[in-house]
Amino acid sequence: MTGTMPENKSAFVLNEICKNFGVVTAVKNFSLDVKDGEFISLLGPSGCGKTTLLRILAGFETPDSGEVLLDGKSILPLPAFKRPMNMVFQRYALFPHMTVYENIAFSQFLKKKPREETQEKVEKMLSLVQLEGFEQRKPDQLSGGQCQRIALARALINEPRVLLLDEPLGALDLKIRKQMQIELKNIQEKLKITFIYVTHDQEEALVMSDRIVLMKQGEIMQVDTPKRIYNHPNSRFAATFIGESNVLEGEVAHIHDDYLAINVDGLQFFAQRTAEVKEGDKIFLAIRLEKVNRKDKKTTRSFDNQFQGKIEDVVFFGSSVKYYIRISENVTIISEETIVEEESDRGEEKNIGDTVAIGFAKKDVNVFLE
Amino acid sequence: MKKEKKHIILLTPLFTYFTFFFFAPMFVLFIYSFWLKTSTGLVPTFTLHNYLYIFSNKLYPITILRSIRIGFITAIICVIISYPVAYSLTFKYKKLQDLVLYLILISLFSSYLVRVYAWKTILGSNGIINQILKYIGVIEQPLTFLLFSPTAIIITLVFILTPFTILPIFSSLQNISVDLIEAANDLGANKFKTFYKITLPLSMPGVITGFIFSFTISTGDYVTPQLVGGTEGLMIGRIIQDQFGMTYNWPFGSALAYFMIFLLIFLINCFIWITSILKLKRKF
Repeated sequence: MTGTMPENKSAFVLNEICKNFGVVTAVKNFSLDVKDGEFISLLGPSGCGKTTLLRILAGFETPDSGEVLLDGKSILPLPAFKRPMNMVFQRYALFPHMTVYENIAFSQFLKKKPREETQEKVEKMLSLVQLEGFEQRKPDQLSGGQCQRIALARALINEPRVLLLDEPLGALDLKIRKQMQIELKNIQEKLKITFIYVTHDQEEALVMSDRIVLMKQGEIMQVDTPKRIYNHPNSRFAATFIGESNVLEGEVAHIHDDYLAINVDGLQFFAQRTAEVKEGDKIFLAIRLEKVNRKDKKTTRSFDNQFQGKIEDVVFFGSSVKYYIRISENVTIISEETIVEEESDRGEEKNIGDTVAIGFAKKDVNVFLE
Repeated sequence: MKKEKKHIILLTPLFTYFTFFFFAPMFVLFIYSFWLKTSTGLVPTFTLHNYLYIFSNKLYPITILRSIRIGFITAIICVIISYPVAYSLTFKYKKLQDLVLYLILISLFSSYLVRVYAWKTILGSNGIINQILKYIGVIEQPLTFLLFSPTAIIITLVFILTPFTILPIFSSLQNISVDLIEAANDLGANKFKTFYKITLPLSMPGVITGFIFSFTISTGDYVTPQLVGGTEGLMIGRIIQDQFGMTYNWPFGSALAYFMIFLLIFLINCFIWITSILKLKRKF
């Protein structure tokens, strides 16, 4: 790519894609604009249609209706082997009867590229995924992480316009998965290839994506940057699928100019006016665990929402701790805080049964109608 | 080591059976092949006379070559017919898999001998093939080469052995994960390239198994040649059988049998070597 790429160039346009398998709707009216060089995650629970959509892009499924445009031209009439995109499979799909070199070079061999050129490219790919010297190994001699990196090299050697990744890290151990997440992101930034990444792991999506497409039952729920989707989920589903939230059910008591007063089990909560509601409407509130502050002797700040409660449970997570605080008969709020200093050092240990005060701002309370 | 002891106990009946009814007789035959037959009976000794005797008369090498030729042609035809069937069952007509497997099983229900006799009828001058050809006017006189000839042996054995050649090929095709086919497509391989570079090499073990199966059975068969082979269809199995029958020359029969075993092992390895050469010819 030469010259300056205009920031908002759309490489890839998906328009109203629908796909049904018999009576099951896999994908419904899916539309998305993907920019060149973007890292997009398709995030959602199992069965939400994200893999089906990826397979439609790859050419393994045909949509019932809708369009997929690359640089303005439809790629749907092209069979899979003619499309300028490559896929990294969840279970690697390395050819077991070929060596690592032959696996990676396969696409070049099909294009009848000269030997020397192919050899150079394969070596470049192997150093990109940090597996130099592995050329003559066979797939059954590789570990999971190594297989995944070879699968990646095999797809990237083709210099595709778009790389499709189908939960590529799903079969790996946690530590290796986290390491690969960073590596993948680095490779993507280095090569500036558009990545479309399918995952059900919301943490993975938050770490790697430029934008997240949150899906549920075949439909798009929200499309946003990780930060915005985390802080401003537009639905109860988004608030609970991504990160953790306290979810409460209440009734709109009073509508003020820029905030709402909501009754929850006899308590009053104050939230920003982000939903169109009338007084008396049933409404859901979501508050992120880390936004709930536990007030101690040192806290001078006052909060829009302040409650007194009793600690029902304390759960230790290594670098953080969760307090389960009951503030009324039916309402328990979970507060998560990072452990900065051992409380026992400060002489301020909080135990089960202790009374404690909590507070959080109105802007940290997201409201949804359903 | 209790677990291992249990396994050994469970395997004992099978091992006993095999030892008594397979390994022991085979071993005895092997010993016999070095003995001599004289007018007074069998003389236990060690001599290569029997093996050398195979080449003393033109009859034996010619029959051996004929048997191998018939066996090879039968095996190749079996594999060529079986592969497309196994392939379409795996990739296209998946719903027919159970039905075809049942049909293959059913073919076991009727006796081998009865089926060979049936073929004798079908291939004869008044058999259904000749009748149809006469009826549609292709021929005037019945085709005589259809029966009592090597061709008849091949036709009969192909029909009997193909169902069983389908099975190992089918099994190895089943084991090819769809992922691999899709990955090949994704990387730029069209249907033919995918078949030649991915599907075929990965199914080779099944093809080889099927080939070995049909090759060894047809080369050594002695029933079908007797019923439909005629005079030109004399195969080595018949000669070996005679040594243990009328001729009463067990050492020679054993030597022939073991010679055939080693020869077949050698030829099968050649076949495997050829298939691997063909696969690797285009190194990239």
